[in-house]
Formats: sequence, C-alpha cells, structure tokens
Amino acid sequence: MKHYRLKDLVDDRPEDGVFRVSRAMFSDPALFDLEMKHIFESGWVFLGMASQVENPHDFLTTRIGRVPVILMRDKQGVLRCFLNACPHKGARIASQHSGNAKLFVCPYHSWTFASSGENRAVKWEKAGCYGEGFHKEDHNLHPIAKFGEYRGFLFGSLNPDVSELEEHLGEARHIIDLAADQSEEGLEVVPGRVRFTFAANWKMQVENCSDQYHFTSTHPSLIKVLERRAREASKGVVESSLSGADFWKGGNDGIVGGSYSFENGHALAWGIMPPNPSLALFENYPQLVQKFGKERAAWMFNMRNLTLFPNMQLAVNASTQLRIIRPVRHDLTEMETWCLVPKGESAEARRLRIRQYEDFFNPTGMAIADDNAVYEECQHGLTAQARPWLQGHARGMTATHEGGNDFAEMIDLKPQRSVTGTSQLADETLFQSYYRGWAQRMAEVLA
Amino acid sequence: MSVLTLVEAQETVFREARLLDEQRFEDWLDLFVEDVLFWMPAWKDDTTLSGDPDRELSLIYYRGKENLRDRVDRLRSGLSPVSRILPRVTHSVTNVMLDAAEGDEGTVYSSFVTHSYQPRTDQLSFHFGRYEHGLVREEGQWKIARKIIYLANDLVPTVLDVNAI
Repeated sequence: MKHYRLKDLVDDRPEDGVFRVSRAMFSDPALFDLEMKHIFESGWVFLGMASQVENPHDFLTTRIGRVPVILMRDKQGVLRCFLNACPHKGARIASQHSGNAKLFVCPYHSWTFASSGENRAVKWEKAGCYGEGFHKEDHNLHPIAKFGEYRGFLFGSLNPDVSELEEHLGEARHIIDLAADQSEEGLEVVPGRVRFTFAANWKMQVENCSDQYHFTSTHPSLIKVLERRAREASKGVVESSLSGADFWKGGNDGIVGGSYSFENGHALAWGIMPPNPSLALFENYPQLVQKFGKERAAWMFNMRNLTLFPNMQLAVNASTQLRIIRPVRHDLTEMETWCLVPKGESAEARRLRIRQYEDFFNPTGMAIADDNAVYEECQHGLTAQARPWLQGHARGMTATHEGGNDFAEMIDLKPQRSVTGTSQLADETLFQSYYRGWAQRMAEVLA
Repeated sequence: MSVLTLVEAQETVFREARLLDEQRFEDWLDLFVEDVLFWMPAWKDDTTLSGDPDRELSLIYYRGKENLRDRVDRLRSGLSPVSRILPRVTHSVTNVMLDAAEGDEGTVYSSFVTHSYQPRTDQLSFHFGRYEHGLVREEGQWKIARKIIYLANDLVPTVLDVNAI
C-alpha cells in the first residue's frame, strides 16, 4: 500500500484560505479498508430506529462496517445489540432483515439463544465430552461494545473506547430534536424498505446530501416537471413541497439558508421553507407554534439535510428520508432508505408525504438516480491522480465564521461554524466537517 | 362484443413491452387510460410486499396518465444525467394468463424479465417479477387501466425507470 500521511489526503490550511481533498480518498481500495476498520468499526455508527424493534422479541439485523449485528428486544422490553454470529462456528443466528422471535436457533448446529442474548442450549452438551476450558467460556451472544439510543435513533460502536453517545452527537442532536418533537409519540418508519447501489465511493453520498451547488445542474429534468406541475395543477398529480421555497432555485438575492458544521464530522445544510399546505406537517402548524413558539416551529418546516458522520442522513426537503450508507467497496456503496414520519399524523398527511417521497427519493423516482449517475461519473474521473487535489471544498471560505448566528439562536443551536447566504453561495465549507471528522479518526493510522 | 380473449390479452402486454423496448414512448402512453393505476409496491421485509399505498411505501405509485407523461418527458429531456443515454432494454414477457374477463374488462397475469445495457457505464442489469394488467375496452381498443409490477429483485443498481419495468 502507498504510505499516506494525513496531509497528503486532506490539505486543511484555514490560515491560507485552503481546504483540499485528494482524489485518492475516493479511489484507493487500501484506504477503504482502513476506513472500514478505523471509522466504521471503531466508532459510533447509526443502526436503525427504535420503532423498528418496538415490541418484546422484535429483532432487526444490520451491519457495523463489515460486521453483522442484531438488535433484539427481550421479554422485559430491554433492547440490546449483539454480533449476529453464533459463538460456536460463527454462523449468523438470524438471516432475516427483521422479525419477532423468542428464541434464535443457529441453523448450523442448533445452539439456541433467548431474545436477551443468553445461551439456552448447546445441543447434546452433556454427551459432548467437552473439556473444562469450554465450560469456562461464555456461550452467550457477544454484545457490541457500546449501544445507545437518542430519541428513537439507535447507534452502536464495536470499540468500547469512544465518547458517550450524546457527546458524539454533540449539537447535531438538536437537529434530530426538530424531527422527534413533531409528535408526542415520536417517529416511525413507513413500512417499505428501499435499497439501491451506486458504483462510487460512499463519501460521494456523504457530501451530496449537503451539496446545495448541484441541484439546478443535476436535476433540471425534475425541475421542469415541478414547474409544469405548478402551472397545470391537476388532481392526479401530487404537489411538490419544494415549489414554495427559494433555497434551491439559484437566486442571488437575500438569505435563503446556509450551513452549520458540528463537532465529530456532522453537518447540516438548510434552507428556508415557509410553512404551507404542500408540506405534510402543515396540519399541525398551529399546535406546533403554540407548543414551541413561532421560530422553533418554523425550523421544523425548513429544509434540513443532516449528515451524522459517517453513515446516517436525515433529509427533510421534498419529503422526509432516513438513509443508512453502507460502503461495500471503495467504488460500490449500498443505500438503505426509509420514509420517516411523526407518529399519529393524519391519513391525508401520510399519503401526501409518501407520494412526494416516491417521486423524489426512490431510485425508481425522478431525482436520486441522477445523483447516483453523477457519483459514478465522479468515480471515473477520481481515478486520475495527475492532479491529486480536488477543487470541490472551497465555496464559502470567506462566508464561514465560527459559532452560531441568528437562525441558530432560534433553536438554541451552538454549531462550530455557520454560513448563511443566497442560493448561489452554495457553501462547500460544511464538507470540511466530514474530512476533519475523518482525519480525527484516521489520525491513529495515518500520521 | 366478445369478452377479452387470451390472444388479445397477449397482444396488448406484448405490444406494451415492444413499444418500451423500441423507445416509442408516445405510442406507449397511448396504451393507457387517463386515470391509469401504475403501481410497483416496495418490499416491507424479506417476504412481504407493501400493501395500502396510502399507508405504506411503494417504489412507484401513480394514479393518472399525466404522471407517466412526466416520466417520459424527463427520460427524453436530455437533462437527466442518468437518462441522457437511455439504456438498451429488452422486455421478455411470458406465462400470460387471462383471468376475470367479463364485458369490457379483463385481468391479465404474466411474468417478466427485463435486461438492460447501460452504454454510459457498460453495466448490465436485469429485473424480473410478475405483472398484473387490468385491461378495459375503449372505443373498440383494449387499453391498460392498471399495471402492477411485483418486482422480485428490489436492490436497484443505480437506476430503474419506467422504461425497464
């Protein structure tokens, strides 16, 4: 493997007005292996929603990096996370995506586990002539090192030596609050799991969620559809929630949104979305204003594209999408996506939200596949190493400043850095957060 | 008039497939009634398709032909990076069975596989599953009032648009 130093990959010199990222970050398979080990398998990653494992004996399987894990709720309602691997020979004890089971019987030799992870049977144990050493070993499922929940969002770490979850989420957790506060009962995922792949590095997805520069370039085909629908409203066509907002339209007048950079690699791109009937949440607007005040309620309607580094995104714009990013290879990424909704919303609001979601967020819709295509175009170009440094992390360098701003104060948010501006500003400094978070975790191997 | 025959049913679903493969999208749109239901459910878990489209997520759910027109316009706009070079697609439709033919209506079940070649990336992909077509007779012609696509392999590589299902 080529020996990299951190500064070969991330050129972070604020004093010179320079922030650059090397193409190798996206195209080197050896670096990818290091990322799996030192980012995904050594720190907090998002696992799923508590509402997906709501009842006793519910379970959900996923991966932390390359490692299969299983979330299980026991008889008493305690939720835990284990390696999804039998201590005997290593077979996954559950191969389903999700379900409800009191007992998990390994398909290979029938070792059996309760939903608390306890071993209930080693088949033919007495007759097995095991030695003393075997009896001294723990035959239960192996719990992951750290497991935590923040307002229904579940996170885990294979490494015990990490900060507490709240500290890891930092101020970014208040963006989760804006979603979780929308219903007294919390959030749930709409049944229907949509997955897709793109042939590009996972960090293309991390960045694109915050990329306000691409919309009018990558999605003009969608914009034309939205414009036509706004002109010729008809009953069979669902109105887009984007029509009423200016943050994406490419104007150069007035503040339409901005970005916040948080500690530990998290970032938010946001835009003003005036509360209006094309937003499913609008039915609760008066109640939300009453409960939270006008400014905080308005924030619940704003476009908010949140990335919790490294693998979770909550995109609130054309509808509400929860994304899990699963890197497969340096040039292949799998996405698992869900429509996230406040519990208890009306049937009409649910219908509107789902229709808006399908058209925009599905790989079978009119937006996401275009994003996938441009990631793939980048992946082709990123193999070119003759000019290693990309020029894609520099917009907003003279607009960013330390700390919060008036908009942050509305929700008591204390970001590390803030940017506000017109639609044409299209800040890229928030990407720097990702690479600083990246560098923080990779520092142990790339001096 | 006679009820829908198996030959007419086959003719209609085969024609739909051929028009998509030949990228004759205007003619394809002509096959549908105005308030067509065009629906591809998602999978809720390993074994269950989503049901009620107003409570559960679909991969595609449209009621009304103008939605399909939007999709066709977008595909041909030249403004969609993934569709600028359209994939070469071949639909193979088999196991056509006619069910519930009565008066001017009939339901047709079939199996499909689509093979797609993306010149943009040289990628091959295939999708397969079952179709349910609801046909109605309008002015002597059999039109599609309902197309439901039960997609078996739902891990979508990069893109899956209306031309490849």
